[in-house]
Amino acid sequence: MFVSPFHDLEEKLGANFGEFAGWEMPMSFSSYAEEHMSVRTSVAFFNLSHMGRLRVKGNSKEFEMLIAKEVSKANIGNMIGPTAFLNDKAGFKDDVMVYKVTEDEWLIVTNAINREKIISWIKSNSNLDVEDLTFKYCMIAIQGRKLEDVLGKVELRPLEFRLNTNFLGYDVFLLSRSGWTGENGLEVWATIDVGRKIIMDLVKMGIRPAGLIARDSLRQEMGFVLYGEDIDENVTPVEARYWVFSLDKDFIGKSSLIERIRSGVDKIRIGFKMKKGERVIPRHLSKIYSISNEVGYVTSSIFSPYLNRVIGMGYVNPKYFYLGYNLAVDIRGKQYDIKIDEFPFI
Amino acid sequence: MSEIKVGRYIVLTDRLYTETDEWVKISSVDNVAIVGITDYAQKKLRDIVGIELPQVQREVKAGESVGVIESVKAAADIFSPLSGVILEVNTKLLEHPEIINKDPYGEGWIFKLRASSLAKEKEKLLSPEKYIEKIKGG
Repeated sequence: MFVSPFHDLEEKLGANFGEFAGWEMPMSFSSYAEEHMSVRTSVAFFNLSHMGRLRVKGNSKEFEMLIAKEVSKANIGNMIGPTAFLNDKAGFKDDVMVYKVTEDEWLIVTNAINREKIISWIKSNSNLDVEDLTFKYCMIAIQGRKLEDVLGKVELRPLEFRLNTNFLGYDVFLLSRSGWTGENGLEVWATIDVGRKIIMDLVKMGIRPAGLIARDSLRQEMGFVLYGEDIDENVTPVEARYWVFSLDKDFIGKSSLIERIRSGVDKIRIGFKMKKGERVIPRHLSKIYSISNEVGYVTSSIFSPYLNRVIGMGYVNPKYFYLGYNLAVDIRGKQYDIKIDEFPFI
Repeated sequence: MSEIKVGRYIVLTDRLYTETDEWVKISSVDNVAIVGITDYAQKKLRDIVGIELPQVQREVKAGESVGVIESVKAAADIFSPLSGVILEVNTKLLEHPEIINKDPYGEGWIFKLRASSLAKEKEKLLSPEKYIEKIKGG
C-alpha cells in the first residue's frame, strides 16, 4: 500500500487514516462534518497526493483519439475537464482533468485507482510518451468560499493553470484554479519538501486540514461522480449524465456512444434526498423500489452536513426518472422514502 | 476512575467490556448497567451520523442486537452485553449522534438496562486488561 507523503505531519495534525484506492490517506482530522462546513463557509485544504499525475507528450492527433473532449480547441494554459478516457464500448476507463501545456504536451490527473491502468492503456493505444509524476510531486487542494479572503486575490481565472510558478513564496511545479467541491479553489503540485512547508504555512494561517470523507460529502452535494462507486467501465457518460465528450471529433468509444444515444439507455443516474431526521444511510448497491418494483440501485450516499439530511445518487430505469417523484430504498430490510432531485443539491 | 491509553485508543478501568466493543458500567446496588460503545469502536466507525435506539421496556438477551449505529463508514449493530429490561435510552443521540464520537464513555452512553442474570453473565464480560489485549494491534 502507498502511504501519504505527509503521514507523519498529518498524524500530528490529528489525522484518522484509512485505505483508499491502495493508499493510506487521512480520512478526517476532527469530524468530517466540521471539515465539510469549513469549505462551505470558510476554507480548508486537502492532501490529494494519491491521485495519479501524468505528463503525456507526443502527436496531438493521437492524443485526441484517446480523449472524449476536444483538446485542440482549448487554450494553452487551460484545463480541459472533466473529460474521460472511454473504452470501445464507451464505458469509463477513467474520468480525468487534462491540462494543456503546449500543442503536444499535456498533464493529466487520474483517479488513484486507475493510474496504472491508464498509463498502460495510453501506451497500448498510442505512441505517446507517458511520464508518471505521481511520486515526484505532491498535490494539495485549497478549497473554500472564503479562499480569497484568506489567501488574497487569485490571479488565475477558473480552469487556468500556471507551471513553474510561485505560491506562498515557494517555487511550485503547478498552480491551477479548480476543485471538486463546488467552491473557489486552488490546486498545487510541488515537491514533497515544498508541499510540507506549504501545509505548515496553511495551518499557521488558520486553514484547517480536511480529509477524504469531507471531500466525498462535498462532491456528493454537487452531484459529482466518484470512479469505482458511481461510474466504471460498464457505465457510459449517457447513463451517468456526465457530459464529458464532444461528438464533433473522433475518439475511442465514440461510435458506441452514438449508438447508445440512438438506442436509449436502460438506466439513468439520479440524485436523491431522504426525509429530514431520517438518519440511516443506504449503502452502495442498496436496492431502489417504485411501488414495490425493484427499479434501480444506490451508488453513493452520505449525511450532508450542509443540508442536515441524507443525500445520495444511484441508477434507475429511466421510466421512473421523474424529478420530485418519491421512490423507496431498502436499508436492512426496511423501506425508506427517497425523493428524486436534481444536482447540485445546494 | 483511571484511563489507559492503548495507542490512540482510551480504555477506562471502572467498567467492563464485550468482544463486540461495548462498555458496561454496572451499579452493584440496583443491578442497573449503563451501556455504550468504546473509544476504539467509535474511532473505527469514524463519524457517527445516526442511531437506532432500543425500545424502552424491551426485554433483551445477552448478545442480542438492540440497535444500530450509522457511521460514514458502515452500519454497526449494538449488542446488549447482558440480559435484562431496557430502562432508559439516550434520546439526545437521535439529534446529535456525534456525541458518541466526542464522549463515548460519558455523554455518549446509549442505554441503561436492569440486568436479570448479572452474576452469571458478568463472568463473560472482559476486564479492562482483557479488552486492552483484544484491541492491541487493531
